[in-house]
Amino acid sequence: MSTAGTAGKGKCTGDDGNTPARGTLFTETMLGTLRLDDEDRTRQVRLDLRVSADRVMRLTGTTQARATGRVRIADWADDAGAEGELEISPLARRRIRYRIAFTADGRRLTLDGWKSVTPRRPVASMTVLPFTLYEDGAQVGTGTLRFPVATQLLPFLASFRFPRRENPDALLAPRWRGEPGRTEVWYTTVTDPATGGGLWLHHELVAPADGSEPYAHGWAAVFPKDGPVRHARFGPTRWTADQAGFSMDGVAVRPGHLSGSAEDDALRWELTERPLGEPLFTFPRWSWRRPLLPAAQMLPAANASYDGTFTHDDTTLTLTGAPGASARIYGHGNARRWSWLHADLGGGDVLEIVAAVSMRPGLRRLPPLVFLRLRHGGRTWPRRAERPAVGWAGAGRFRAAIDLPTWTVTGRAGLRRIRVEVTQPEERILALDYTDPDGAHAICRNSERADAHVLLERWWFGGWRTEAEWTLDGTAHAEVGTR
Amino acid sequence: MSLTGMVAALIADDRTADWPARVPARLETVLASMPLPARAGVRAAARGLDAYAVARTGRKLAALTDAERESVLRGLGARPALQPLLDVLKVPVLLAAGTERMLQDGLPVPLLTRQDPPLDCTPVHAWPARSTADAVVIGSGAGGAMAARTLARAGLDVVVLEEGQHHSTESFGRRAPLDRFTDLYRDGGATVAVGRPPLLLPVGRAVGGTTVVNSGTCYRTPDHVLARWSKEFGFAPAEDFGRRLDEVERTLRVATQPLDVLGGNGRIALAGASALGWGAAPLRRNAPGCKGSCQCVVGCPTGAKQSVQLSVLPDACAAGARIVTGARVERVLVDADRPGGPRAAGVRVRREGGAVEILAPLVVVAAGALESPPLLRRSGLGRHPRLGHNLSVHPATSVAGRFAEPVTAWEGVLQSVGVEEHHGEGVLIEATATPPGMGSFVLPGLGRELRRELEGADRLATLGAMIADRPSGRVLGRDRTLLRYDVDDRDAGRLLRAVRAMGELLFAAGAEEVLTGIPGTPRVRGLAELDTLLAGTSVRQLHLSAYHPTGTVAAGTDAERFPADPTGRLRGVHGVLVADASVLPGCPEVNPQLSIMAAALAITQGQVER
Repeated sequence: MSTAGTAGKGKCTGDDGNTPARGTLFTETMLGTLRLDDEDRTRQVRLDLRVSADRVMRLTGTTQARATGRVRIADWADDAGAEGELEISPLARRRIRYRIAFTADGRRLTLDGWKSVTPRRPVASMTVLPFTLYEDGAQVGTGTLRFPVATQLLPFLASFRFPRRENPDALLAPRWRGEPGRTEVWYTTVTDPATGGGLWLHHELVAPADGSEPYAHGWAAVFPKDGPVRHARFGPTRWTADQAGFSMDGVAVRPGHLSGSAEDDALRWELTERPLGEPLFTFPRWSWRRPLLPAAQMLPAANASYDGTFTHDDTTLTLTGAPGASARIYGHGNARRWSWLHADLGGGDVLEIVAAVSMRPGLRRLPPLVFLRLRHGGRTWPRRAERPAVGWAGAGRFRAAIDLPTWTVTGRAGLRRIRVEVTQPEERILALDYTDPDGAHAICRNSERADAHVLLERWWFGGWRTEAEWTLDGTAHAEVGTR
Repeated sequence: MSLTGMVAALIADDRTADWPARVPARLETVLASMPLPARAGVRAAARGLDAYAVARTGRKLAALTDAERESVLRGLGARPALQPLLDVLKVPVLLAAGTERMLQDGLPVPLLTRQDPPLDCTPVHAWPARSTADAVVIGSGAGGAMAARTLARAGLDVVVLEEGQHHSTESFGRRAPLDRFTDLYRDGGATVAVGRPPLLLPVGRAVGGTTVVNSGTCYRTPDHVLARWSKEFGFAPAEDFGRRLDEVERTLRVATQPLDVLGGNGRIALAGASALGWGAAPLRRNAPGCKGSCQCVVGCPTGAKQSVQLSVLPDACAAGARIVTGARVERVLVDADRPGGPRAAGVRVRREGGAVEILAPLVVVAAGALESPPLLRRSGLGRHPRLGHNLSVHPATSVAGRFAEPVTAWEGVLQSVGVEEHHGEGVLIEATATPPGMGSFVLPGLGRELRRELEGADRLATLGAMIADRPSGRVLGRDRTLLRYDVDDRDAGRLLRAVRAMGELLFAAGAEEVLTGIPGTPRVRGLAELDTLLAGTSVRQLHLSAYHPTGTVAAGTDAERFPADPTGRLRGVHGVLVADASVLPGCPEVNPQLSIMAAALAITQGQVER
């Protein structure tokens, strides 16, 4: 891995005007009654919805949103798989429309209704939802749902989230804008669940600090379960700009696709990549948009799945749904000392750690700055990337003990603490020489078959309780770099 | 407050017959259906009469003897300035009196010509609060029904919203004409256009709109009118109007009225025209099998008249359209933030216990020329400066002739014969009789004189004339319609010429005297006398009524002049079609039902074929 940097004016997703920078999430609960046309009694209805929109909800405009949730109708239906859509337009169209499809008693039904907003009765018109129930387009009942202001207003307001929406493809575009003394990396690490082996594809652009021609190079490595690590370099060749990602003589990184060969086709790969998670910014997001730190690393998709083939010396690995991730680095060069971990914890959970000591005068005397991001249950912890590195003005920072074959990271934020222990056995390591833009060299020891143990604990009335614990046996991707 | 004294005085209740005693109660029911100003006016007049009686005799009218009442009325009748006011007061009293007198003779039991075809009607209180459709049609009259049928036949899910109720032919047969009158007309028939002189402008309000209460006369739009619409205004549907008129005539089963049930009124008109050598003929009507019940204006009790709720709406319902009754549309819902400009999204209907909203991408406005502009204003779509202007109404007046032999005008076809001799000059004479008291003709006299006229009404033949007017009216208002209409100078001359022509026709047919309807000189016995009278008469002295309001959301090419584009789409918003009398760009010069329906057909077909 590498770390260091400051750099060009890149365009982050959300700035291009096509993809809104943030979405909207909220939950809403409504209670009411339903009268079926063929019955002479009313039934109680409860509707719990989780609503998501692709943009920040605009009160003066119209927001189209998706809704999922649960519909409960007394003695008739309880469908937790209800789904539908909302048209939220309280001022422009004075209408908040709900169309929710659900199953009741084996019948596929659609609830269609809208709140009709009027300034004359703001509260009633914003909370009362008359609706009609349809089956195959024919009316089967009518009813009214009400938003219970007394009990639900605070939970409703507190449920609002405006998550960023990123376009992972746009994050693959080169950041470099012609400055000397920069390095930019596209790298991908994969674990083949069939053989237990690991893959590493590293693509790098180097713009030397002396202003000479920028060049592209890289390497591919395979870490078989039984056998020595095999790697091969490609390049260097003259850098040619590629708006979509990285490309040089037969090697390419494109959205959803990795291909190339090295050492006269001794290693060949042809992989498709399917992002499974949201982007993950290991360093603070601002440092990727405005490269003020010596370098920054991020993942366009926190985890991804890979299909395709990787051939080395007449052995072909066929990947099917192999877990892994692609990451990006942009900055001034490699760190003085660093360690990196990417651990796919399963179920969409991911742990990403970069701990590094800068090359900058002064900063090099500091202990390693730890950037740790744990995506667990759809949430990322700690909430801010700065917290592990410089929390409580440095006193509450996370600690890293960088060593080989085992290095550790520990830290506490909020009511949780974590301990990560990574082991990179000597026989599973590939040691490579890195060259900085200024010509300095570093040695990196990488393993895509590392072991890791992650312990996450939560404080609960006077004691620490284990919240989650993961043990990765040869499926962690890790690296330690030294000078 | 009691109306007994006033009624007893006006119709000289001498207790020789039973029916006059029932008139005050009947008058109360008539007043109940009228708008507040009309009600207040009649009650104020009753108070005024009583006050006058107290001033003259020390007692109220109800406490006076017959002779004293006559004396009081003579005192009032001697003041010419009061004549027009007394004539207005007589209208509801005659309506009630005519009904009670007719009931005295027994209500004839009408024979159904045919069963009503089925309609899919739902009262608004049974309609879901939220629903959707492909198209919403506001109004079920001539235009709305045709629009609904065209759209439904094209496969659209259509909902028709009607403010009035559905009345079956059988229900017409069961009830007295006046009871139906108050139900079937907006404001109890007392819609008035403010102006000098004011005009009475009755419009229907029921499933079927004004076609339920019109006379069934079906004129094709004259060619010169179509040419003007097309060339001068650029009204696109006018270009292929003949084909549409053919289709409408087929739907309504329009045919020339056979002579068998024409009635005395029509025969007199034919005889007079024949004596003068004028062109006249039985009218073309949409009433196959008409039995001459003479109740067209309160709903045909035999089902012969093919009003749209018996002819077009059943077809629409068969194609899937649904009708919501009692549904007054509060506003057209407009999505202001749609790409490309504002777009209609549906309608909101007022209802007790929460409004009804129907979402539809297409809204057809067919609420009639008097209601469509206020509806559009309520909906925020009334920004066009000419919206509500350009109102044409066919001002009309009527004249009666007294004959030696009984005519019994209310036995026969209500509007039977058209005299087109003066149509080139914008005057169309139509022999029109009505159930007693319901016509626009006001019998002369007060007290015993009026009673004599009432008793001798069977010897009267009445003619009406309507004139092609200049569009000199305006529809104002947002929540309530306010009409403003000033008779143009040219049209005033036409109206006086029309009175003369009708008088000439009646004398030629053998009338002993002609009742002019002019308060100062209610009777003339010869044409020369009529000419002398008319030479000194202003149009303001005539009893004017008006029919056929058109043109208030006119369609045409000039965007500054016409609120709707040549194909009937309202300018300034997407998804709103105007398909009723308001879309006609100019006065149709004849009874306009066919013109409205053909225009609605063309406009909605144009929408479907887009």
